[in-house]
Amino acid sequence: MPETLRARPEKHQPWLDASLRPYIHIDAVTKQFGEFRAVDRTTLEIHRGELFCLLGASGCGKTTLLRMLAGFEHPTSGRILIDGQDMTGVPAYDRPVNMMFQNYALFPHMSVEQNVAYGLKQDGVRKPELKQRVGEALEMVQLGPWAKRKPHQLSGGQRQRVALARSLVKRPKVLLLDEPLAALDKKLRERTQFELMNIQEELGVTFVVVTHDQEEAMTLSTRMAVMERGQVVQVGTPSEIYEFPATRFTADFIGSINLIEGRVKRVEAAGVLVAAPQLGCDLEVTGATQVREGQSVCVAIRPEKIAVAPNAEGAGPEEGAPNAVRGGARNSVRGTVRDVAYLGDSSVFRVDVGEGFLIEVTQPNLLRSLERKVDWDDAVVLTWRADAGLILTE
Amino acid sequence: MTATAGERRKPKGRATALRAPFHALAQRIGLSGRGLVVAVPYFWLIAFFLLPFIIVAKISLSQMIIGRPPFTDFFVWSDAWLPEIQAYLDNYRWLLQDSLYWVAYLNSVKIALISTLFCLLIGYPMAYAIARAKPTVRTLLLLMVILPFWTSFLLRVYAWMGILRNTGVVNNTLTSLGILDQPIQMMNTDFSVYVGIVYTYLPFMILPLYATLEKLDGALLEAAEDLGAKPWKVFLTVTLPLSLPGIVAGSMLVFIPAVGEYVIPELLGGPDTLMIGRVLWDEFFSNRDWPVASAVTIVLILVLVIPLALFQRHQAKVQEREA
Amino acid sequence: MSQGIKRGLSASVSAAALIFATGAATAQEDTLNVYNWSDYIAADTVPKFEEEFGVSVNYDVYDSNEVLEGTLMAGGTGYDVVVPSGSFFQRQIEAGIYQKLDKSKLDNWDHLDPQILEQVAQYDPGNEYGVPYMWGTTGIGYNVAMVEERLGADADFDTWDLIFDPETAAKLADCGVTLLDAPTEVFNTARQYLGLDPLSTDEDDLQAAVDLIMEIRPHIRYFHSSQYINDLANGEVCVSMGWSGDVFIAADRAEAGERDVEVAYTIPREGATIWFDIMAIPEGAPHPDNAHKWLNYQMRPEVAAENVNYVWYATANQDALPMIDDDIKNDPAIYPSEEVMESLFVDLPQEPRFARVQTRAWTRVKTGQ
Repeated sequence: MPETLRARPEKHQPWLDASLRPYIHIDAVTKQFGEFRAVDRTTLEIHRGELFCLLGASGCGKTTLLRMLAGFEHPTSGRILIDGQDMTGVPAYDRPVNMMFQNYALFPHMSVEQNVAYGLKQDGVRKPELKQRVGEALEMVQLGPWAKRKPHQLSGGQRQRVALARSLVKRPKVLLLDEPLAALDKKLRERTQFELMNIQEELGVTFVVVTHDQEEAMTLSTRMAVMERGQVVQVGTPSEIYEFPATRFTADFIGSINLIEGRVKRVEAAGVLVAAPQLGCDLEVTGATQVREGQSVCVAIRPEKIAVAPNAEGAGPEEGAPNAVRGGARNSVRGTVRDVAYLGDSSVFRVDVGEGFLIEVTQPNLLRSLERKVDWDDAVVLTWRADAGLILTE
Repeated sequence: MTATAGERRKPKGRATALRAPFHALAQRIGLSGRGLVVAVPYFWLIAFFLLPFIIVAKISLSQMIIGRPPFTDFFVWSDAWLPEIQAYLDNYRWLLQDSLYWVAYLNSVKIALISTLFCLLIGYPMAYAIARAKPTVRTLLLLMVILPFWTSFLLRVYAWMGILRNTGVVNNTLTSLGILDQPIQMMNTDFSVYVGIVYTYLPFMILPLYATLEKLDGALLEAAEDLGAKPWKVFLTVTLPLSLPGIVAGSMLVFIPAVGEYVIPELLGGPDTLMIGRVLWDEFFSNRDWPVASAVTIVLILVLVIPLALFQRHQAKVQEREA
Repeated sequence: MSQGIKRGLSASVSAAALIFATGAATAQEDTLNVYNWSDYIAADTVPKFEEEFGVSVNYDVYDSNEVLEGTLMAGGTGYDVVVPSGSFFQRQIEAGIYQKLDKSKLDNWDHLDPQILEQVAQYDPGNEYGVPYMWGTTGIGYNVAMVEERLGADADFDTWDLIFDPETAAKLADCGVTLLDAPTEVFNTARQYLGLDPLSTDEDDLQAAVDLIMEIRPHIRYFHSSQYINDLANGEVCVSMGWSGDVFIAADRAEAGERDVEVAYTIPREGATIWFDIMAIPEGAPHPDNAHKWLNYQMRPEVAAENVNYVWYATANQDALPMIDDDIKNDPAIYPSEEVMESLFVDLPQEPRFARVQTRAWTRVKTGQ
């Protein structure tokens, strides 16, 4: 991991401390449903106090993994440890975890209060304490006045908060959240994200969140695991995942990215030179991983790391001619703007760099102006720094 | 039914010429399309419940005579242009005076209650299992629950006679295996009546229970377990209360017809099995006393069926509000 | 067949079917709607009648007087000929259900036995409304081997002791003793057994009969009017108070069955009920002409004899006797001796108030209240 990327050095980052034992240890867990392997030899370590996201498309195995943590499913092989305790054979009702369900699963025949009190009653908590703790939990989610209501009399956001209070009132070691925000509308979702983070920080409970929404995962998590076809593809902080995706899949799944196929031309001291026939120019990439000359690789460049400028010489790439900037410049290519999307804070350009190969570029709209510096069909030059690209071999 | 005012005219809009006369007619008699749909169940209730009920109530207020029909007229057309009403409450007084009827009512209720309880105890696990089965298996299991209805009810009761009698399947098997020296008397006892009623009405318990259990969100059960409830606690605190509408509906469907059951106690029961249905039969056929038989029916409906029906309506409304 | 109760469900079903059937039939002239007891006519009587007279017959059956009466009382049944039993017949005449016979159309009337006509005149004075069809008795059907096993080889079968003597009934209880579910008949017989007037309407006499039955009640398997036919035949019960013809059916089935069961019928010497079934035409019958043709046809000696040979009941037709099988003619259970005939008694309808008291007493006896 590059030294420069320790974004918040003052913040507690337990996963970097080798002496700490992980709080949740998922150890080579496999789950087979008949012919279908939902989770495939997955190993994960989650630390105390983390807000850990499991991110992936539907069917990637993230929910199955969460349900195995809760105890609703049992691993076909492998084991799960929570706080050093092997969970194999421990039924859901005996686990030190609680879950917030996707559609909240509030008991329709019980009031808000009764819903929240349910878990404590199962533990045989006595009346005065029970009352107090339920009151506190409802206070935390600001639902005190609604205590006597039934779930069907509440709004979607209120129900979500009841579910949260219900699952937290038992003070679990781990809280599992299954798509906690999916049922809310966009505005409410954004507000609730921050509420969730505040509560998590305040209580210090370990959160494991399943989500298919990469933005949500980026916002919420301390670290996240990207899953594909039952396997964890990459684990890291949001910035690690974004800036240093390990594979083409992760790179493509999180945010937008330009993937350019090429072949390693030369390995230099400062970096690697990659020949990219799609662009017609050489790409210089610094800080690269282990590659050898002649290897097929993929260079990934985020759109916001590319600069776009009008091409003073006018014309775009000529038919059959190399369209690289004259003089054999590296990390610079000519093209024609095919598409402009104005998003307010930024603009997105799609630039044809020859034979229909499109490069996406995002530019912040720094100046307040109605005129566009670059517009449709303009001839442009794209440039980027050598440390903007990333070499992917998988 | 919605009654539309005479002046009310809807703009014809794109209504075709052909539809217009129908519309006009429907409006004239005060029926909109929706009104017609609503009218069907009302018509049904009036034609097949209210009218017969009124006729029976009328007979219950008359007196028995030898003649055809064997009771006095309710309306007597004398010289005046309005008929005179002849109503007697004697039959109801008779019911009150003779403890036989009350014993029979109470016994019917007892038998119906116990049968309902057993239907519930047997039907609940079955409904639960069906609701939790795989969809393909579920259809098959449901079919098997309904299957007996394709055979005549009488045949099935007779089949039970063959199973339960002294020289029947059960006793023969047990004696030939040497488990019994002598056959156990099962036919013509209360036991055989319970077997018959529970067997016959079980599907009526299973189907509504299945309907509610099938709708039950599995996540609720997981949530309860997740919050620390052991499986039996999950059942008591979540599954059971949420299946209450099914339990109420199923119990009604079993209890109400079981109270008035005649055929099963008649065929399977012994001399001790006193049920109101048999008393009714005796009044109607042996005594030819249609008025008293009618009074027995009216009391049965007023005292048992209507309160229960109202209770169920209330329950259904409560559930509807919560859903 | 009998005057008692034979609760049947199939009968009411077929009655309903007929009501629908006759709706269509009335439009057609040459039809006849007959409503008779089940198993109460020879197999080819109806086809032969249809062939000879060109009348198509809708033939329906019931198995209880009560069901027949319930149907008739409701009115508008569309039946042309029905076959009630004695005391029911009398009450139904009073209720105005029947039309008088046109005897000019019944030239076979003289074949009827005058003695039986005299008996039936107790219900139908002057024999104005009905043609006596068949008659029988209400006695005891029993399983010979099972009773002998419990009472000894020299057991006396020809007595009501088999049922009404508590000690004897107790010995037989385990193999199954049954009574008809027919209040009048059982009470009449009980009074007769006690040496009282069988037709007494005295409430003390009724109480005595109730006490007698209550005493033997613990030994009674059930009160039912048709179940015993099968149960006797299968050896499921061993002693049943029953109607003669039904017991013969049971005996027949027992013989045909694979089990080694021998069922016999006896008319106890203390006396027993004799009953008559009478063919009559309801008021408002749609085809009275055809109905008369049918009645006249049934009175032909050869037709009556064929029916008897088929159903094993005694006929009211005296001229049929020579053509009746010897087995039947000489069976004292079907054609009892002069001496036994003396001991038989009819039952007459009781006045409604007493009938009700008696039915109530019956319900109490049955349920042990």
